[in-house]
Amino acid sequence: MDESIEYRECLIELIYQLADDDFLLAYRGSEWLGLAPHIEEDVAFASISQDLMGHAALYYGLLEELGEGKIDHLTHNRSPEYFRNAILVELPNGTGTYLENPSYDWAFTVVRNYFYTLAKKVRLDSIKKSSYEPLQHIVQKISIEMSYHMMHWEVWFKQLISSTAEAKSRMEEAMSIVFEELGGVFSYGRIGDRMARLSLIESEEVLKERWMVYLNKEKIQYSMKMKQGDGRNGIHTPHLAEALATLSEVYQSVPTAEW
Amino acid sequence: MVISLNERMDHFMNRINSGEKIEADDWMPDDYREALIRLISMHGISEIMGALPEKEWVPKAPSIYRKLAIMAKVQDEMGHGQLLLRVAEDLMEPLGRNRDDIMKDLFSGKLKFHNVFHMKAPTWGDAGVIAWLVDGAAIISQTMMLGTSYGPYGRALKRICAEEVFHAQHGESIIMALAEGTKEQRTLLQDSINRWWSSLLMFFGPRTNAETGHSNQDQNMRYKLRTKTNEQLRQEFLTKYVPRVWALGLTIPDSTLKFDEETSEWQYQQPDWEEFKSIVTGHGPKSKERLALRMRSYEMNSWVREALGTSEVSNVAR
Amino acid sequence: MSHKDSLFYEVYEVFSKKTDTSSLQHQFSLLAPNQELAFVMAKENFFRREQVADIWVVKRDHIKRMSQEEKEAMKHLEKNYRETKGYGYLKKKWRQYEQEQLTEKDIMGGGEG
Repeated sequence: MDESIEYRECLIELIYQLADDDFLLAYRGSEWLGLAPHIEEDVAFASISQDLMGHAALYYGLLEELGEGKIDHLTHNRSPEYFRNAILVELPNGTGTYLENPSYDWAFTVVRNYFYTLAKKVRLDSIKKSSYEPLQHIVQKISIEMSYHMMHWEVWFKQLISSTAEAKSRMEEAMSIVFEELGGVFSYGRIGDRMARLSLIESEEVLKERWMVYLNKEKIQYSMKMKQGDGRNGIHTPHLAEALATLSEVYQSVPTAEW
Repeated sequence: MVISLNERMDHFMNRINSGEKIEADDWMPDDYREALIRLISMHGISEIMGALPEKEWVPKAPSIYRKLAIMAKVQDEMGHGQLLLRVAEDLMEPLGRNRDDIMKDLFSGKLKFHNVFHMKAPTWGDAGVIAWLVDGAAIISQTMMLGTSYGPYGRALKRICAEEVFHAQHGESIIMALAEGTKEQRTLLQDSINRWWSSLLMFFGPRTNAETGHSNQDQNMRYKLRTKTNEQLRQEFLTKYVPRVWALGLTIPDSTLKFDEETSEWQYQQPDWEEFKSIVTGHGPKSKERLALRMRSYEMNSWVREALGTSEVSNVAR
Repeated sequence: MSHKDSLFYEVYEVFSKKTDTSSLQHQFSLLAPNQELAFVMAKENFFRREQVADIWVVKRDHIKRMSQEEKEAMKHLEKNYRETKGYGYLKKKWRQYEQEQLTEKDIMGGGEG
């Protein structure tokens, strides 16, 4: 295959993964608006969700430049099999919907966000070292906001995990659920090994290792898996289709309109 | 030196009448404190409850830019609630009450919130109308309160009003896109205006005690908590927004609405004040549902408050 | 209301400075169960639209404030001997001695003196 075509294919695939991860997790965060455990935390968490949505917008903007289509088409007009997010970020916050009888678990949200943010940092640091220049540029911008996200989730994680017996037990339960899908965050899918070879990002094994080193400060037993579906290859749970239906409801009601 | 209650009261009224601001630790008559707690906790909890109809539209907003903008707006609402509740909490502290009590009063129905947040917001058009006109009404009321005699309330309002500028433009932007859009979009917008009109009029409260048998506005004016009447604010709202709604080629569901040059006042059909009373006492179309949502989230998160409120964690983390 | 719940609602005062060279200013307060969480929440609650160079959080209980009486007493104190207000007559005197009065600027070293 022509090198530049291969490069382009792998680059675009990687950007979709990064974009869709942040987009879906931002959506899950926005479902918590008004429902967080504490009003001041509701406000702080909302900033993080906005940041994630903003990061997704930067990536989708780059995809638009690379000829993939308009940003709002990419976000509101793709069906689930075209999404490249990891399963972890499409999982619901709990049972119920954000409008009807939500039974959301703060422990799950803290663990998911903390582990994801760490993984994101590890991936971004790898891209910063060497990759497609416009992508490196975006990643540098995004990295500025990462230190706040890390601090925020680390504090919640540490405090909950070392408090009451109930909190510990909820956090442990949450960790086992998150570990079941954390492998999917590091996976690159079908053409993953080519990405490392083309210097777009380092290998899955290297990044997983770095993540484990960071988390070992917490002295936690773990084993990363990929239990349901295969997000990077477009095989998703029904949760994604549900999420996308909500996200694109108004856009699709009048597809030709300007909003 | 023993100071009599009358002397304290005189000193207090002198301070207020000379434009001095009262601070949280200053002496104040009980009814001043109670009036403030009632007014500010209602204002604060209305912001928090107001976030609920708006957040419905965050995920559904029809572009990534609109999603971001509404997220920021809802966040601001929670932030305003935070600022105001803090002011109310400091006033309640000498009475041995705190935020937990505010939440319990909300759930029991004792603490009320603005009528507009009991209403349905079934379409994207409503997201626009809320951002433009409900916020517009709130801006008029809040701007008036900036001169309030109570220092901490004035400072919170200053910050709130600064953020409202962004909200107003966000709302106008959504409305403009709909008004200038397809036939479906214009219909969406017109339907929302029809749906919200009487709620907007009711927002400012009754003209006098006669309509609902109760109004705090006289006491609030004597204590310089506010400087204009409900009717003056409503008239300001009509003056600002009716011409604009008409300019966009939209109609308002009140055929009697017109500006009377002689009285310099808008004539309009009175909203149903009995309905208003029913709504704010928890019988609005979405009252129970939204309160239930709030209660549910408060309960489902109680383990978090217990976990971090124990002396073990508090000491370790300090 | 349980004792446990009440420890969750401690008041923290938030201070900040806009730039490295500005003074630290009091902003608003927030509720938090401990200092670390207060710190984590401060920036997004109060500074999400502005540049901020530093943020401090302090538990309100650790601050001693003036009472209303103390504040009002402050207003009645006049200490002319600390201010330049009482020294206006000097200018005339120096003119009498046919010399320009040294301006404050000269004394501070910034004038043409």
